[in-house]
Amino acid sequence: MKEQEPTVFVIDDDRMIRDGLQSLIRSVGLRVETFASAQDFLGAKRPDTPACLVLDVRMPGLSGLDLQLKLRDDGIPIPIIFITGHGDIPMSVRAMKEGAHEFLTKPVRGQDLLDAVQKALASDRALRQERLEANEIRSRFESLTPREKEVLDLVVEGLLNKQIADQLGMSELTVKTHRAHVMEKTHADSLAHLVRMAEKRKSSIRK
Amino acid sequence: MSGEADELMGRNVDAPSRLNAVARYALATVLVALALLISLALQKSFGNPFWFFFSVAVILSTWFGRTGPGWLSVVCSTLAVMYYFTPPIHSFAVSPTDLPYFLTFVACEVGAAQLISWRRRTEDALRQARDELELRVAERTAELKNANEALLERMNEQKRTEETLQATQAELARAARITTIGELTASIAHEVNQPLAAVVANADACVAWLSRPHPDLWEARAAAERATEGATRASDVIARIRSLITKATPEKSRVLINRVMKETAILAEGQAARNNVAIELELSPESPVVLGDSIQLQQVILNLVMNAIDAMTTVTDRPRTLTLRSESPDNGHIRVVVQDSGIGLTEDVKGRLFEPFFTTRSKGMGMGLSISRSIIEAHGGRLWAESNGSGGATFQFTLAREDRTSA
Repeated sequence: MKEQEPTVFVIDDDRMIRDGLQSLIRSVGLRVETFASAQDFLGAKRPDTPACLVLDVRMPGLSGLDLQLKLRDDGIPIPIIFITGHGDIPMSVRAMKEGAHEFLTKPVRGQDLLDAVQKALASDRALRQERLEANEIRSRFESLTPREKEVLDLVVEGLLNKQIADQLGMSELTVKTHRAHVMEKTHADSLAHLVRMAEKRKSSIRK
Repeated sequence: MSGEADELMGRNVDAPSRLNAVARYALATVLVALALLISLALQKSFGNPFWFFFSVAVILSTWFGRTGPGWLSVVCSTLAVMYYFTPPIHSFAVSPTDLPYFLTFVACEVGAAQLISWRRRTEDALRQARDELELRVAERTAELKNANEALLERMNEQKRTEETLQATQAELARAARITTIGELTASIAHEVNQPLAAVVANADACVAWLSRPHPDLWEARAAAERATEGATRASDVIARIRSLITKATPEKSRVLINRVMKETAILAEGQAARNNVAIELELSPESPVVLGDSIQLQQVILNLVMNAIDAMTTVTDRPRTLTLRSESPDNGHIRVVVQDSGIGLTEDVKGRLFEPFFTTRSKGMGMGLSISRSIIEAHGGRLWAESNGSGGATFQFTLAREDRTSA
């Protein structure tokens, strides 16, 4: 799993602001892609890298807030840094409630924006990592046979091999064999590791 | 007409009271008796026949007693003449020689009674009609009077409503102006903030590129150039707003300044009247012409006049007089003077009068004089203020005369 180069998406209808922000973010060595409107952003092909969005609240067409809702509904979890002019307090409240990562007022101080971008990227990186792990675990668990899954569920519940054999109506030796297969297929180092992965899988399914 | 006759005629002719009827018949009898006595008395001196007093009695009876008593008097008179005056005397017989004469007399009596009775009826009908008419006229007059009072009341009410409406409208206009200012401010803030945000972002980027271990001059320069561009755009926005407030190039045409002043005085009349201010218009007899935007010039004069009226609202110890004067000194200029007897100008106020957003009023916006001065200066003129020796202030502006300079 190698770390890809993170990308910052800047969406602002004002060219000069767009260019200024792009230059500023590039100066600290980050990759930047700019868009003049929310529609352009939605239409573009986005690289699968850690990313964050620097978004102007007020834009002609789809507003920043509209884009935020659309991304959420489409299941695209990307941290958003909102930039707004004066007098947008109700908007800020709405955006924060919908889970905006940061809210900055125009004119934005360069350092504030860079800090917010770094934080947003770190958070996205962590989230992606978590998602990757969850996916990995899920695929490992899906490779188990139904019988192995039954054994796994009882193992995680803390039952002994003998008890599992009684409950499933098989010999203790068979349970042991299944158990060994489960440990192998899930790449579990120990029983504790297996239990942790099982918990994670459960919580990711619940999500 | 006698009192008795009046009394008789005052009664309703269609239904005379019993007593009245008796009185009228008695009157007829008395009159005939009177005629008989007079005729008898005069018979000695004038000889026979002397009967015309009976005719008078018949006429009077018919007139005052109406038809019934009239006929009674005719009968009584005839009998009396037959008895006392036609031979054979003291008998109701009439000798054949006197018969034509007697019959003529009777015919005269009957004719008189008929005629008078007819006249009387006509008279009564007329009188009644007149009385009714008078009554109707009186009723109608009362109705009209009531209607008139109602109308007057309605007019007063309407006047009050109009005054309220006017006050409300003025209030509305002020509110609208304040709202517009609010919106304008918000829009200006946004318009200016946008390029400022670009300036800040690019300036920060420029610094960031320069602060790298190996400064990237090319990137820094590009960012600095964008910052300059943003700053230029911000200043363009400001310039645009300024030109919105005072159009950079006024629509110039030949303007009769006296006419503009007259129109302005009419516009300000209502406000002046409400504040008990008398506007005195002293216009230059030369009717000078200037080259300019008449609407803008009117705005300036109206603004000065309104300020002058406002300055006098608290004055109570002297007449509130506003003098609006145009002068044309010989130097090819005209001068428009707005003089008031108001609270005047303190030195401090005088110094800041033309600053934007400076105001002495609670509801003022402080833009009027600043804009006025810009307008006059855009017309190549000057606008200034002075204190009057006697209290109050004088605002005046000069403009070049078109009719002089071109000649």
